[in-house]
Amino acid sequence: MHIPDGFLSPQTWLPAAVIALGAWAWAARGLRSALDETLVPRLAMLTALAYGLGLIMLPLPGGTSGHALGVAMLALLFGLRLAFLAYSGVLLLQALLFGAGGLTALPINALAMGLAGGATAVATFRLLRGFNETVAVAVAAWLSVIVPGALVAFVLGLQPLIATKPDGSPLFFPFGIEITLPAILVPHVFIGLGEAALTLLVWRYARMRKWRA
Amino acid sequence: MAGMKPRHALYLYLAALPAPTFVHDPRLLALGLAAAVLCAGGERWRILKRSLLAILAFNLSVSLGVVLVGLWQGRIDSGWLLVANLRVLLMVFLGFWFVARVDLLAALAGWPTATLLATLAMGQTRSFERMLKDFRLAFASRNIVRPSLLDRRRHAGAQAVALLDKAQAQSAEVALAMRSRGAFD
Repeated sequence: MHIPDGFLSPQTWLPAAVIALGAWAWAARGLRSALDETLVPRLAMLTALAYGLGLIMLPLPGGTSGHALGVAMLALLFGLRLAFLAYSGVLLLQALLFGAGGLTALPINALAMGLAGGATAVATFRLLRGFNETVAVAVAAWLSVIVPGALVAFVLGLQPLIATKPDGSPLFFPFGIEITLPAILVPHVFIGLGEAALTLLVWRYARMRKWRA
Repeated sequence: MAGMKPRHALYLYLAALPAPTFVHDPRLLALGLAAAVLCAGGERWRILKRSLLAILAFNLSVSLGVVLVGLWQGRIDSGWLLVANLRVLLMVFLGFWFVARVDLLAALAGWPTATLLATLAMGQTRSFERMLKDFRLAFASRNIVRPSLLDRRRHAGAQAVALLDKAQAQSAEVALAMRSRGAFD
């Protein structure tokens, strides 16, 4: 669900960049002491998996793309802060190496997918864990796709309202929320099912290998 | 960017990238794109082709949407189509030009945490690509006839576990190498 460069107005990406810088500073606090030679390989491996998943994407008419994220598995296994940082790195590499997303869109993409997606996964898992762990992981992963999808749709859909020419025609992304919301969310309802299956697979792998979880 | 220090090239790129989002005149955007293509040197056509391919799917879907809505409303906003596509192409071109000319790790050299994350992520990405290719070729070479769906499912499961194990072992080696160089101190 990357938003590409050039579709967001400065009124959107500039404040988002300020918020994202604060969020990255928060997430990076104490990072170097948290990383050790046990955690780093695991984090690197799943970050690379998330990177690969994000590249298998379908363009959606809503001005973005449909793909699995992998942020739920990062957040559930390594915590929100590490997941957010790792996923931001994934988005940065995808933008620079493949033109998927972009640097001006990076703050919004990272806040939506990395932070909101990761936070949704962690909160949902904590809420449902007592009920059934498998269900908790699956629902957390599914919601970690749906919530960022809704945020991305909302931000794109806002563009024709906040950045227009004097005649009212849009300067950046041209479609409103009434188009972006269904165009992005409907495919992601199904993509979320794949994300849930994949997250469960990785979760079980992590348990099998006795990772902390 | 030729002859420029990686860090300075990074600053230049970060300064230039937002500019197109403040420009709404297609002539200025076209001029900017032409200048960037001209300055990109011998690799300009390869970078331009790569940029066009990267934006093709997304811009085409949005542009077609705008055309369809325009047809329905009886007025196609050709100005928007031109500005949006030029802007996106210019921004993606700048990114690919930067990556083609500058070693990202060298540009990040002054920030240890960013270098650490970039080294791990890029190293892993490359080893994943190599391993996936190896697995695909090995599976194809072991099957003279087309394997059944069940065989393919079993292979995919075994491959996924082996891939994760192998990737972890490889990144453990990278992490140990980084520890020996003081990356975690």
